Amino acid sequence: MSAILAEKDLIPQSTPDAPLLPTWLSELRDEVSAHPGVNHLLLSRLRTGRYTKGDYKVFGLQHYPMVGTFTRYMELLLLRAPSSEQKLWLAKVLVDEYGEGSDGDDHAKLYLRYLNSMGLVSGEEETTPLCSAVWEFIGIHLRICSEEPFLVGLGALGPGHEWAIPKMFNQIIPGLERAGMGYEERMYFDLHTEQDIEHANWMSQALAQLGQDEEARALVRRGALLSLGARFRFWTGVERCVVARRQPHSVDAVRRGILGSRRPDREESPGNRRDLRTAIQDHWAGKSWPVPLPSDSTLIEVSQ
Amino acid sequence: MRILLVQPAPFECGRIGLENALWMSEPGALTAIAACVEGDHEVRIIDMRLEEADTLPRVLSSFKPDLVGVTCMTTDAYQAQAVLHCAKSILGEEVFTLLGGHHPTLVPEEHDFEYIDAICIGEGEDTFKELIDHLESGNSRQSLEEIDGLAFRRGAERVHTGKRSQARELDTFPTPARHLLDEYKGQYFFASAMNMAAIQTSRGCAFDCNFCAIWEFYERKVRFLSSKAIADQMEMCDEPFIFFLDDNFLTRPQRLVELCDEIETRGIKKFWMIQGRTDFVVENADLMRRMRDCGLMMVLSGFETNDAGTLEALRKDNTRENYIKAAELLNELSIITTGIFMAHPDFEAQDFDDLYAAINEMKITIPLVVINMPLPGTQSWRENQHKLLTKDARFFDLLHAVTPTKLPRREFYERYAAWNEATEASIDSSLSWRFMARRPRLMMAMRSGLKLFSQRREVLRMALNDPENYLRDEEGIIPEFPPSDPQETRQELVTEVVGV
Repeated sequence: MSAILAEKDLIPQSTPDAPLLPTWLSELRDEVSAHPGVNHLLLSRLRTGRYTKGDYKVFGLQHYPMVGTFTRYMELLLLRAPSSEQKLWLAKVLVDEYGEGSDGDDHAKLYLRYLNSMGLVSGEEETTPLCSAVWEFIGIHLRICSEEPFLVGLGALGPGHEWAIPKMFNQIIPGLERAGMGYEERMYFDLHTEQDIEHANWMSQALAQLGQDEEARALVRRGALLSLGARFRFWTGVERCVVARRQPHSVDAVRRGILGSRRPDREESPGNRRDLRTAIQDHWAGKSWPVPLPSDSTLIEVSQ
Repeated sequence: MRILLVQPAPFECGRIGLENALWMSEPGALTAIAACVEGDHEVRIIDMRLEEADTLPRVLSSFKPDLVGVTCMTTDAYQAQAVLHCAKSILGEEVFTLLGGHHPTLVPEEHDFEYIDAICIGEGEDTFKELIDHLESGNSRQSLEEIDGLAFRRGAERVHTGKRSQARELDTFPTPARHLLDEYKGQYFFASAMNMAAIQTSRGCAFDCNFCAIWEFYERKVRFLSSKAIADQMEMCDEPFIFFLDDNFLTRPQRLVELCDEIETRGIKKFWMIQGRTDFVVENADLMRRMRDCGLMMVLSGFETNDAGTLEALRKDNTRENYIKAAELLNELSIITTGIFMAHPDFEAQDFDDLYAAINEMKITIPLVVINMPLPGTQSWRENQHKLLTKDARFFDLLHAVTPTKLPRREFYERYAAWNEATEASIDSSLSWRFMARRPRLMMAMRSGLKLFSQRREVLRMALNDPENYLRDEEGIIPEFPPSDPQETRQELVTEVVGV
């Protein structure tokens, strides 16, 4: 079997271990698999190009703040779960996400291990300016999990995350290997191509039971597409940071939209990880998100 | 069948380079092969140089092509691979992925990946047509042995069907399907000549410079489109500017006389740009004047060096005297000269100064200084592989030193990056009021592109004038050179970096 097929298969199929997916979920699975957010050109570039540890550090510093926030989305969604059975489903994944599945190392620690191997200077992970797409991504998910119907949140965290991540990370790993990173250093990524398949299968069972009518299915799909639309914007933001590291002059050129790009960048960085943590705490306390978020239609149009 | 042809971006979106700031031509290779199958199949072209990153996955998902074809040179090789990887990632094994172009033809082994089903070796039209017919007939994609000009995988085996004969007369090929680029109309340019079409009127080159692979690609044969066919294509262009993509347009004077006859008889009013040699310019002054009157506005020539010895080593078969005379003549005719000069890795400080002084003396309108390097497929590549500090395709952009520099790298790049400023005098003295006054219609036509080009030029200069820009690119890929003990460690370093 080719590596490409192996990547495709990371999106859960109906296997003896996994329940037979109903048609609508099977279609949604294919839609997630083909979504631009899961197949961003940056991911293929990482797979085929020659990026260095320095480039992967830039990538990692933008990605790192998102690593610790998935549990916050889950916590928010748990509060909105309509029944104790659904709460139990979410709690199971949440426990894994807290770190049970990786020998007690939680995800943030694993990710720091990765960043350290890239030559992280202590404190850099707190002070590096984050691109607006990182802020957008987190803000969108906090909003989805706290304001949208439960099934939209489930769509964002299930198909939008658990189904998408193994395929995305499987494209990143060969590039990390080529840049000289061993399994120990890139364990965060490898674990997510293994562990999340279980999560995804398990989430599929929950979705199959909850998606009994068209309305419910549409909510799940909407959540997935919102999340993947934000994911797409995130990869674009990361790619621009990687380019800007080597060629800082490009930032201004892109912002002015004079290089053939049809969509110039907009803002300066809204802040670093410390600022982001404060914003998340404030959000928890009921304050509004400090960065304007793209509209739902903008996010959904990414795949249309 | 549904066929998607993709021109990759040379680098990630947003990066500044010559290809998006100075010169971007239509993807002529794609319109040429599209024309061979278009009548029977649904064909689309996307140009990733002018698209955002989401366009490709979006088009793949909605168009669902049966075949995705990509062309590439050397610097965009990884980007081309990324396009095909993305296609397989979204569409699975069902989609057939095909890679063609200069780099895959010359070094197909560098594209041997599971996500590339076949590589088109050499000229693509007939190979592509036969491949499409084969796949359309439902034949196996692993039994392509009958099609010349392909390299493909059959299980674990690599099959190479040999290079296709490149003898077909150019007039017998269908006219390139330029209408497939309609959505990009107006976006191709050279400097301030915006809204530019592209036509290829010949293939191959009769010279054998050691730094160029064109003559090897076309096996020393040169074929020409007839003057009538060229004029037909010129008439089909809406664009005011046309770039003739030939590697050496200035050859066979009689053909050019006939082209001028056609242009005059038909009353074609276009401004056109060419690539050609200075010896031809000098030897055919009257013809150059006539071509100017028929719309010739720019000649791009390799001036290479101000040093006769180096010129000989490059096997350029030309003289410095010709360069000087050609520049003078073109200035006199108010034809823009774009001159490519080479800085060499073994340059010392004085060599840079001498080169810049020579450029200023020649009064070149658009001087471009590149770094001489052994490009894949060239004679120079075969002779200098042992010196390579990297085989990373991105660095073969003529803007990075891929072999050791005599000066410390930082100093080398400081001297190199100074070329833009150091050759200002050349531009100023060439583009005089007299020059412009002689061609008022041309100046009017370029006026609309002037603002955008000056913005692009500004960002390009910011990038090119900054020595750190080159060093940052090299960080983690090309080590600081020379090391403290060059003789002892050079081979070790080369072995480590290139793995040879």
